[in-house]
Amino acid sequence: MDADISDILASVSAPPIPKRALDLQALTRAWINERSSPELLPYPTELIERSTQGVKSQIEVIEEMTGAMDPTSNFKLVILQTELERVKFLLRSFLRARIAKIDKHPLHYHSVATSADLGDQPILSRLESQYLVSHQALLSSHYNASFLSLFPTQLQRLDDATGGDSMIDKPDEDTAVFCRVLRDGYVSRPPDDDIELKRGDVWVLRWTTIREKVRSGDVELI
Amino acid sequence: MALLLPPGLTPNEVGFLCEMELVTVIPRQRLDSLELLGGPTQALKPPFPAQLPLWLALLLKRQKRANISPPPWLSVPALEQILDFETDNNFAGVFSPSPDLPAPRSTVSMPEDPYLSNHTLEMSAPFLKDSSTSRAQENALPYHWLELSHLLLTHAADDFDDPDSVRRLVRDLREVRMSKLRKGFKVLESSAGVKMNGVGGMEIAEVRGFVGGVVDGLRRINRSREEARREQMDEGGVGYGSSGRYADDDDEMEL
Repeated sequence: MDADISDILASVSAPPIPKRALDLQALTRAWINERSSPELLPYPTELIERSTQGVKSQIEVIEEMTGAMDPTSNFKLVILQTELERVKFLLRSFLRARIAKIDKHPLHYHSVATSADLGDQPILSRLESQYLVSHQALLSSHYNASFLSLFPTQLQRLDDATGGDSMIDKPDEDTAVFCRVLRDGYVSRPPDDDIELKRGDVWVLRWTTIREKVRSGDVELI
Repeated sequence: MALLLPPGLTPNEVGFLCEMELVTVIPRQRLDSLELLGGPTQALKPPFPAQLPLWLALLLKRQKRANISPPPWLSVPALEQILDFETDNNFAGVFSPSPDLPAPRSTVSMPEDPYLSNHTLEMSAPFLKDSSTSRAQENALPYHWLELSHLLLTHAADDFDDPDSVRRLVRDLREVRMSKLRKGFKVLESSAGVKMNGVGGMEIAEVRGFVGGVVDGLRRINRSREEARREQMDEGGVGYGSSGRYADDDDEMEL
């Protein structure tokens, strides 16, 4: 009973978490999830927009302070720049991890992105799908020019799915991942028993088992 | 340019993450609150302690503008107590429990919310409140314990009462926990599903390649058997599933 009362008190008296701190938590989690998961996760459009906007305005602030040539603000400038570089690293590493996955399975993500419903969260951002399409066009015209055109016509396709095996390589979705539970719940994983997930638990599970939980924010990868 | 690193955070990246933990500093000079991208910092007014992210605290420490006060769990009596738990034979199979979690901000996720929506976002390490400040829980190791103690002992050793004993205890703890982790590898099997409560971030970074490799390798070996079980279950109901698994376990022991 005591615990309940202190919980209620904590939730009432605790100041709300600043929006920027929430965004940093979300960006950090997006980065870790994307670095650890075997396949691409939905692109958090609004979050990345807000973060890049924040970086831009922070650069303006820093430029203004540098222009003022005030010796007393030198140290503040060092702190602001250090933090800016940290956030830029997060953003850059996040986007680069995504490009690495797109480069590895371009045809797979192309078909995922084109077959997705409009209501769904987009897998690729606008820039990423532009990159995917033009990169793929360059590659296939290069392959064609250098050797594919010498093959018999029926062997020239790069995405042949007939004859049992599809040529389109998919990421291994059953890879084991380390994850942490953020909200209680349970997952089923036939043919094994269901697993009860308790807040704070750390599990090694197959990506397919917890994929939906990661997307809904109930579980995070670590 | 695409990233060339393998999936999963590297030790360097875990260290980077750990630097976002809040620690308590005792400032030596004034510093106004700064508008950072991650929210405003606390204004520094000596001699009042303030909570700052570790990277900033280390920056101030290096320039002798502040002292860092180590979290309560990073002290000789607290570490001795945790080490006693870790070496207790009754708890040979488990890690010492992690600190109590704050109440969740929300109970359910909204299905229509986009990925990583702000409304239902739960905080977790390194952003958990007071996991490494002077208000931290004394009798439990937080997620980034190893990285944090390493950074503090390297860059702020003079802020400890007895840095050498703390260093020795941290090393003992690391070894005890690592050997526990290695013993735990025996239960690895192709279906994954291993619970590792209380494990630290750097410890995961150390074993990630091995655990992932073993589980994925076993899965590849067992693929045909697993498909057979799945078919059997579809035909014969749930009952057959468990009997099949015991047979699997016996086979895996020989590997």
